[in-house]
Amino acid sequence: MDILMQALVQGLLVGSTYGIVALGLGLIFSVSGVVNFAHGDFLAVALFLSSSLFAAFALDPYVSVFITLPVLLAAGALLYRLLIRPVIGGHMLMVIQLTLGLSLMLQNGLLMIYGGQPLRVPSIMETKLLIVGNVVMRWPLIVAFLVSLVLAALLFVMLARTDFGRSIRAVHQNAKAAALMGIDVARVRTQVFALGVGLLAIAGALIVPGTPLSPGMGLRYTVITLLVLVLGGMSNFAGILAGGVVIGLAEAIGTIYVTGILGMILPYLVFVVILLFRPAGLLGRAA
Amino acid sequence: MKPDFWRIARSPVALGLLALAALLPLVLPGYYLHIATLTLVYAALATAWNLVGGLTGQISLAHSLFVGTGAMLASALLVHFGINMWLGALIAALLAAAMGIAIAFIDYRFRLGHLSFALITLAFAEMAELVVVGWDFLGGASGLYLPRDTGDLAAFQFGGLKGYFWLMLALAVGCILVNLAIVNAPLGYRLRAIRDNEDAAQALGVPLLRNKAIAMAISAALTSLIGTAYARSATFADPYMLASPVLTIEIVLIATVGGLGTAFGPLVGALLLVPLGEFLRGHFGGSLPGLHYFIYGACVVAVVLALPQGVGPALARLLRRRGVKDPKIAAGEKGPSRR
Repeated sequence: MDILMQALVQGLLVGSTYGIVALGLGLIFSVSGVVNFAHGDFLAVALFLSSSLFAAFALDPYVSVFITLPVLLAAGALLYRLLIRPVIGGHMLMVIQLTLGLSLMLQNGLLMIYGGQPLRVPSIMETKLLIVGNVVMRWPLIVAFLVSLVLAALLFVMLARTDFGRSIRAVHQNAKAAALMGIDVARVRTQVFALGVGLLAIAGALIVPGTPLSPGMGLRYTVITLLVLVLGGMSNFAGILAGGVVIGLAEAIGTIYVTGILGMILPYLVFVVILLFRPAGLLGRAA
Repeated sequence: MKPDFWRIARSPVALGLLALAALLPLVLPGYYLHIATLTLVYAALATAWNLVGGLTGQISLAHSLFVGTGAMLASALLVHFGINMWLGALIAALLAAAMGIAIAFIDYRFRLGHLSFALITLAFAEMAELVVVGWDFLGGASGLYLPRDTGDLAAFQFGGLKGYFWLMLALAVGCILVNLAIVNAPLGYRLRAIRDNEDAAQALGVPLLRNKAIAMAISAALTSLIGTAYARSATFADPYMLASPVLTIEIVLIATVGGLGTAFGPLVGALLLVPLGEFLRGHFGGSLPGLHYFIYGACVVAVVLALPQGVGPALARLLRRRGVKDPKIAAGEKGPSRR
């Protein structure tokens, strides 16, 4: 029972960070129809940036996020302006292709700069534990969970209440109609790409304490993020958060109850089963 | 349809190029012959993938599953039970075809969209890699070493580098012929109809499940065969290479750079990208690991931005403008309509 509780708590905490990473991808998808296969690699870039800032200035990841955030915001805007915009509206495979090529570039750019040795970035909270009953929680994960909740809440308010949020939803529903209503679609998309990639700087700071960094880690995060996004129903933001928790739980339960590497299969299995029986996502209605 | 196939398959250009290619092992030094062989492997893989990904428009990311089946299962049957690798290759190919049909059935039964299909197949591929790495019978994390190659054809051994070059050439040509035959046959028209508009195709009486399953089964069986041949040529079945989704990504990149849905596009893509990747790896792999993949990725991005239809069709257009009639590329130009 204790083990189950531990798995559930762990899954919930980790899953919330997956949710935030996937929210960035979901925002981008909702205004542009683009599935960015380099999303995880941008997260890897954020993680390695914070490791550099720690190595150079001994900055804690929770502090260096104020430097990585503007960098990733700019990277997201440039991604749209330079690469995505010319091919948008073409065959979907072309955009996937382009972002896969970009993923190779980012991953191997990191390999060239940092080498293949795993890196670690310490944080003031890395080793602190919170023990409730028999359940042990690492503080960095608790911080990650709380910040993810706050971020998600801010995003929802932004989408529902602000003009920027309304223009995002307008472009999502019908880009042509939005343009006719006087919304600068290209500008909204640039801003959303910046926001979606910029979120990864914050997610990076939440994930980095205690996580070993390797240049190839981006692809794994991309795959997990895509699973979460599809489970969430692509642009249903509450669904995406729920999807993150489901995948986090499946991962935690799989690794605790199944010995060896086979336990890592559980998230994929859960994904396939849920997608087959709820093709519109966890919270979606059948089309 | 049929005459088209024979016109291209028997054209002097195609036969001449094939004869030249077959003579390569007699003149090329080992290092270059190795690169040429690898190019053929990827050309064959990309051409086989093209049946599903290009012609039917289904972005399957499960093909590492089929390569892995051919490589790991046939190797495991040989190593653990001493089963002849010809038989092992056949068993693996049949199993791969069955898995392909199962995937097509899931796609049909649950009416998956393009993205869901891509991601479900990617999830299958990820699971397959974990199964291979986690199950010692299939090699586990350390892979399977095959017995030494003595050049015994009856035991699926083709001798040295030259033998495997010819084997891969035969496989690549075989895949291209299958592709060409299907492109020009009624099946090819049905597949393209499905690709361009699934609902319209069904309304016109094209059976979706049967056609998708046939395409997937052929593609999976061919892919599995190439996997077996590659494992045998390397005398080592490496799960982290042969069952990894990264392999699928490479295949998809090559097919798209060359030109989707065309019979010769994947070959053009492999001819461009594989030697480039290998030369870069050879020159920079030791001093600056990662650079070759970096440049590789940059090339892919550049091609997508500059030639969204792929290099093959662009090349065909260029040749035609110059007044050169190159029937094999011209006939292959049946790429996807831009949507």
